Amino acid sequence: MTAAPLPAHGAGAGARAWRLALLALLALSSIGPMLLLALWSVSGAWFFPAVLPHTVTLVAWRSAIRAQSLASALGTSTILAIGTAILACIVALPFGQLLARLAGWRRHVGAAAAFLPVAAPPLALGTGLQVAALALGLGGTLPGVLLAHLVPAVGYLSLLFLGTFTLLDARPAEVARTLGASPWQVWWRVTLPQLRRPIAEAAAIGFLVSWTQFALTLVVGAGAVRTLPLEVFAYVQAGEDRVAAVGALLLILPPALAVSALRWAALRTTVISA
Amino acid sequence: MTGDSPRVAHAVHRRKGESAGLLAAALLAAPVLVGLAYVIAASLGVAGAGHTSHPSVARVARVLGERSTWESVLLTLGVATSSTALAVIGAVVVAVAFQSHARSDRIGRALAALPLPIPHLVAGVLGVWLLGQSGIAARVAFALGLVARPAEMPPLIYDRLGVGLVLTLAWKEMAFLAIVSSALLATRGAAAEEAARTLGASPWETFRRVTWPLLWRGLAPAVVTVFVFVAGNYEVAALLAPSDPLPLPLLVAQRATDPDLARHGDAYVASVLLLVIASAAVTAHEWVRARWEPFVP
Repeated sequence: MTAAPLPAHGAGAGARAWRLALLALLALSSIGPMLLLALWSVSGAWFFPAVLPHTVTLVAWRSAIRAQSLASALGTSTILAIGTAILACIVALPFGQLLARLAGWRRHVGAAAAFLPVAAPPLALGTGLQVAALALGLGGTLPGVLLAHLVPAVGYLSLLFLGTFTLLDARPAEVARTLGASPWQVWWRVTLPQLRRPIAEAAAIGFLVSWTQFALTLVVGAGAVRTLPLEVFAYVQAGEDRVAAVGALLLILPPALAVSALRWAALRTTVISA
Repeated sequence: MTGDSPRVAHAVHRRKGESAGLLAAALLAAPVLVGLAYVIAASLGVAGAGHTSHPSVARVARVLGERSTWESVLLTLGVATSSTALAVIGAVVVAVAFQSHARSDRIGRALAALPLPIPHLVAGVLGVWLLGQSGIAARVAFALGLVARPAEMPPLIYDRLGVGLVLTLAWKEMAFLAIVSSALLATRGAAAEEAARTLGASPWETFRRVTWPLLWRGLAPAVVTVFVFVAGNYEVAALLAPSDPLPLPLLVAQRATDPDLARHGDAYVASVLLLVIASAAVTAHEWVRARWEPFVP
């Protein structure tokens, strides 16, 4: 008996048509919503049943700039996200390293502990954190919200660094120690350069955790700390869809850049290592 | 100095490392555990507004005795299960259909990953504009002659079943699961599938007996993560969910701001329910990882 020849991947007119249809569907579902957002931000009158706006105008962009609420929310979100990225990296790096020393069931307990603040529903987590923030006199303040954002961010990044330290090649550090380097020199000159990419990734993720945070800001910020997601939500609730679209575009931009940068960095590293 | 001392020193060093690791774990879990302890204490009336020194289960019993509470739990679990399931199906279809190095396959994978950086809030806003009764979907239906006015469009948002909520969350989460699925297929290679095809298996049989059994083990932790995110999400639900029944996160918010002050404490009980669901998912996540991670085909 001879084995049937393996059909080429996607061979046959039926398979090709099916794959093309799937590709078109994916393009529609992934690019369509972004286009809709962009279109909404520059639309004039746009009533049912028109599929496209009747007129195009920059009035929403102008009023978004004039109203200053979006600009100030953009500033608050940026400060919070950068602060969260830096502080979460500083806290999570040693946490990840310590968790990586655990073995067996302890490793699973450690990973579960780091996953807990990531998985905890923000509203339920916020209820407890709000009490802590109030006790510290930080309820409804920027530092209070920053502390709240740090909780899930440190959880995420500890998991990330746990993975990093588990896979980290320990030999360069051992060689440096054998050659007489002090623990500080080993850390500064060997381990840290090895961690450059994971730290960049972690900072990007820490930024995004804070940038997209909604319920924690709402509860701990008590409505006094206005971030971009809160403003966009308020505009949607008020029926000001076009200004909301401007805010939503501003909200997407940094995550899109961060993800593209990470993918580019990954691609570049892969090419170099190959 | 005995010959054993380096080994003893190593063991002491290791134990120190383990204690430090467990301390780190305790610190990481502390905000959630303290929060959980607080909401449990507040549910029993010994913390929070109007607390007394005598714990009482009266509030817990009342909230758990209300039909609306269980409708909320059911809606939350139903929405989370169906949106996660839809996202898994979409992600696996994409990963299997576009797994080669061909240009079209790379485009397919990139397109599927595109919604990843979109915040949940923006996904919710898009859900409103696309699926509302006078939204883009309704306008396309009008252009196709399927409906004559917005009222004829079946309500997809604020509907009792949460159809729009499920579709929006599935769309948002599919990108993450598609990336994980594609990465799993790429690291695993196509040798087992090629062997199955060579032995005469049909494409469906190859998927069912080779691809899927290898894929789902790696995918399981990501699936649990998506489930727990979806179940606890507030902002998408606030934009798209029905008002009766309310998903659990909205029930917490509604009770906390109820005009009837006596009901404010009910929010704590609803929070406990939310945290129980999340904790169960975290346990499942680690159990799945402990059980399947060492699995190497």
